[in-house]
Amino acid sequence: MPDPVLLDAPPEEQWQIDLERVGLLRRLLNGRKWYGVDWWMVVISSIMVVFFIVIAFFPGLLAPHDPLEQVGPRFLPPGDKPDAEVLLLRVDSPIESLADLAGQGRVPTAVVQGAPSSEDIRSEAERITQELAATGSDDRIRFRILRLETLEEVLAAIQAGDVELGAGSSQQLEPLMDAYPDVVIAGPISGEKGGKTFLLGTNQIGQDVLSRLSWGARIALIIGFTASIFSLVLGVPLGLFAGFTGGKIDRGLTLVMDSLYAFPGLILAIAIAAVLGPSIVNVIVAIAVLYIPTYYRIVRGQTLSTKESLHVEAATSIGATKTSILRRYIFPLVIPSVAIIFSVNIADAILTGAALSFLGLGLPPTTPDWGIDLARGQEFIQRAWWLITFPGIAVMLVVLAFTMLGEGLTEIFNPKLRKQ
Amino acid sequence: MSSDVLYSIRNLDVEYDTRLGGVRAVDDFSLDIQKGEILGLVGESGCGKSTLGKGMMRTITTPGHIVGGELWFEGVDLMTLSEKQMSGIRGNKIGMVFQDPMTSLNPLMTIVDHLTEAIRAHHKEVSQQAARARATEMVAELGIRTERIDDYPHQFSGGMRQRIMIALVLALNASLVIADEPTTALDVIVEAQFLDLLRGLRKEFELTILLITHNIGVVAELADRVAVMYAGKLAEVAPVDSLFLETKHPYSRGLLKSVPNIDVDNQELYKMEGAPPNLIAPPSGCRFHPRCPYAVALCAAEEPELTTVSGEQHRATCWIYSDRKDRPTDGLT
Amino acid sequence: MHPLLLTFLIFGIPAVIGLAYVFVRGSPGLRSYIVTRIALTIPMILILATVVFLVMRIIPGDPIDSALGPKGTAEIKERFAEQHGLNDPLAVQYGRFVVDIFTLDFGNSLVQSQRPIVDELGERLPATLEMVIPATLLALGLGIFLGTRAGVRRKSATDYGSRIFSVMIYAMPIFWLGLLFQLIFGVWLGWTPIAGRIDPQIPLERTTNLLVVDAIITGNWVALRSVLSHLVLPTLTLGLVLSGVFLRLTRINIIETGQEDYVAAARARGIDRGTITRKYSLKNAMIPVITLIGLQVAILLAGAVLTETVFAWPGMGRYLIQRILARDFIAVQSVIIFFALFVAVISLAVDIVYSLLDPRVRY
Repeated sequence: MPDPVLLDAPPEEQWQIDLERVGLLRRLLNGRKWYGVDWWMVVISSIMVVFFIVIAFFPGLLAPHDPLEQVGPRFLPPGDKPDAEVLLLRVDSPIESLADLAGQGRVPTAVVQGAPSSEDIRSEAERITQELAATGSDDRIRFRILRLETLEEVLAAIQAGDVELGAGSSQQLEPLMDAYPDVVIAGPISGEKGGKTFLLGTNQIGQDVLSRLSWGARIALIIGFTASIFSLVLGVPLGLFAGFTGGKIDRGLTLVMDSLYAFPGLILAIAIAAVLGPSIVNVIVAIAVLYIPTYYRIVRGQTLSTKESLHVEAATSIGATKTSILRRYIFPLVIPSVAIIFSVNIADAILTGAALSFLGLGLPPTTPDWGIDLARGQEFIQRAWWLITFPGIAVMLVVLAFTMLGEGLTEIFNPKLRKQ
Repeated sequence: MSSDVLYSIRNLDVEYDTRLGGVRAVDDFSLDIQKGEILGLVGESGCGKSTLGKGMMRTITTPGHIVGGELWFEGVDLMTLSEKQMSGIRGNKIGMVFQDPMTSLNPLMTIVDHLTEAIRAHHKEVSQQAARARATEMVAELGIRTERIDDYPHQFSGGMRQRIMIALVLALNASLVIADEPTTALDVIVEAQFLDLLRGLRKEFELTILLITHNIGVVAELADRVAVMYAGKLAEVAPVDSLFLETKHPYSRGLLKSVPNIDVDNQELYKMEGAPPNLIAPPSGCRFHPRCPYAVALCAAEEPELTTVSGEQHRATCWIYSDRKDRPTDGLT
Repeated sequence: MHPLLLTFLIFGIPAVIGLAYVFVRGSPGLRSYIVTRIALTIPMILILATVVFLVMRIIPGDPIDSALGPKGTAEIKERFAEQHGLNDPLAVQYGRFVVDIFTLDFGNSLVQSQRPIVDELGERLPATLEMVIPATLLALGLGIFLGTRAGVRRKSATDYGSRIFSVMIYAMPIFWLGLLFQLIFGVWLGWTPIAGRIDPQIPLERTTNLLVVDAIITGNWVALRSVLSHLVLPTLTLGLVLSGVFLRLTRINIIETGQEDYVAAARARGIDRGTITRKYSLKNAMIPVITLIGLQVAILLAGAVLTETVFAWPGMGRYLIQRILARDFIAVQSVIIFFALFVAVISLAVDIVYSLLDPRVRY
């Protein structure tokens, strides 16, 4: 019997080999054609990531207001106009607007205790006084305020002539006006028609939800990026070191990392954050500790398998030094995987950060943070759906952007990594 | 076509969709398999021979698909059958033996489960006991101890597993066996035993075998006729002696010359120029012309047809054997 | 009987019976595997316990300070440290800590009642189990069903739908999903209650603290109705989030086993598609999926903590958060240890199930 001869290694379909031969640059340039869905995933998620990074750097681009200031009425639904705060007068009053009161001494005025109109009438008067002062006039608007319990009492006081003027919300006044024929609405206090609208509504203390969301993006990305960089900076060198040296150090490190990995991450972060106390730095530390093993495991695994691969053995046999093997063979192989983990890791860190602050363990309670806003919003779930809806969507979009970026890149650069 | 043709492939086209475009792995391929013969199909890796085997069973999975052609078997064009009818043919009439016996058996099923499942898939009327009896008989026939039929695949060696694969084919009286690189994963001793077994079984069960391999030695040992495939096309087909003694196609010659001969000392092995073609953008004209030592302008311009070159049975796809004026010459004809 | 012991018995007895059956019927190889695997659980618990101990003691931040808050004077602190053995060398503390774990003696709570922590856990653990078990079953059922369909029919509408579902559910914070369910089903539609385990007005005699079981054994159908309606949203929340993970795992593994030679070989033998999916693809795909379930316990526990917080569910997770906010570090440490034990037990169970499924481990 003649010697059996293998013309070639066990066959692989030719087209698979051809695909492997194509360089990375060509893969990206022709990406849309070859990778279809995955290429679009990378493009769309990149745009989203860039958007969120820009917002994190310049929250003001999206935020019309200060996230910590009360800028409107409480619980104003998204897009709704707040009630116009209006001035009330007797039918026969000579006054037409607040400006007419300048220099007239203390004007008896009725307001409802604590209503927005009482706040508005005072601040408008202040504004007019300042305007007059700027023109050199000494005239001031002064009130003698009568604080009442209800709007009906205010109307009754004007009707009876006890006070010169009053203030109230137009919507609340509407059903009452018929009962008080001598009282008329003189127009909005500030001269504007109605107050400002808020795209995503206002919260329980009259802060603008949109502004808080924009500033929340900054917090979320700071946590995501710094925690991931921290884990990367510790996890990658440890993985390279352990994988490359092997032996006892490797076994010890791997044991520690594996037990860290097996333990429920969020609970570990909860424990760490609880001991450290609420601050953004502590949240970052707690999350960073969690994800060190993720980098460690992948990098160590790849280092080990590369170290034992044929081309490294060949390089060693012709006298390549350890550093040159690390630099020329192992490092280039590890970089794409690390980049992919990094992207997905940011998403995980943001999720964990939001969970911690939702639990009340992360950040100081006034911080404009998505998790905190969600926890606060839950108290008012019966009343204001928008308080829990929008911060949740924000978390989801950011996480989606970073995971999709990671997944799409995996598919294009290293389809085999996916299995891990 | 003569009446003793068992399986006739006519103008088969198989394409793979890849991210770089469609790849014609099998291109306008025609071949007849005679009843009772062992036909060896040889070629380099990636020439489409495994795809052809799967195509004959219609078991090509996405991203691959059969574009066109006819597959005549026992008077029926298999391409016209429904998937369900086709399932009745697979295993029952046409059996297949795979390259790697280590991965071709379900690791979670015992040997006897494999056998009884296959029998009962095609013969619903057979009872579990009867199927088990038949399985035991088959396993014994192939030289495996019958008490081992309740073992799992991982408890067997590669050679044993390949016997089990054969048992799976024989248990159903298949008339045609497509063996796709059946010995590639076996070591030399086991391979020799396996080839002996195959020869014996062929007589006993009157099998027709299509032996797909890149191992010229196995073909010389076993086959009655040989078909040489290059880049999805049939290059040459001939009875085994005729092919080895009067090789006609330049590609077949290169293929044979690159086999070391134990009788020749210090021989320098022939190395064929160039690499197998990229099937995404195949060469124009004859697909072998970029590597062919005799190629002329005609070869790059037009595609040759399969022509009879010597005797009734010996045919090749090469311009050398045409009567064109501008044909190339190899100095022999 | 102590409620914690009762809970252990309710879940332990069937597990032990199952294990005994497997042990008696199994091959010698399987038996020795199970023994080895059970023996390995002890070092695993030790490693996890050590991690917890290190986290609680070594990282910056003083447990005494965090327990007493700003009001602790030096004298009070000293007495506190003495009382809880915090002045002993770390090695001694560690030794005592390990002994306590194996005797399940966690000491007394630091807040108000100063009840033994074991008693408090006896009330909390059944609550968590009552929610986590149906959620896991839902997740497995949904995840494996959709994952198989998506993997078998690649690029079909089911496939794309399932992928979008799993990506969305991955990106969704679980507590937000819970909030959305509360808003939609509780507030807007008014179908289900949004917090707690049972309507406080309905009396129910508690023996096992598994309220479903308690309601059934006392024949209290009104209570059962209330308990089940309270269970719906938390179970759905946790179950859906987990199902995304199982869906992904099943789909990838079904695709991978679908490309195996034995599947191609079975097709070439004329075995029908359904049988191949069931006996070849799915069964083989389940092996890696089951191994990975062990790793998903982390997600399960984290999810349970957050779900319990959202739905004011009086389980282990909510207890953990409450005690952290109350600076009761002894209770916190005990809960975390309990979670670690849970991780160890699940990973043991997963490995045993795995050995039953895969003959390559058995022999």
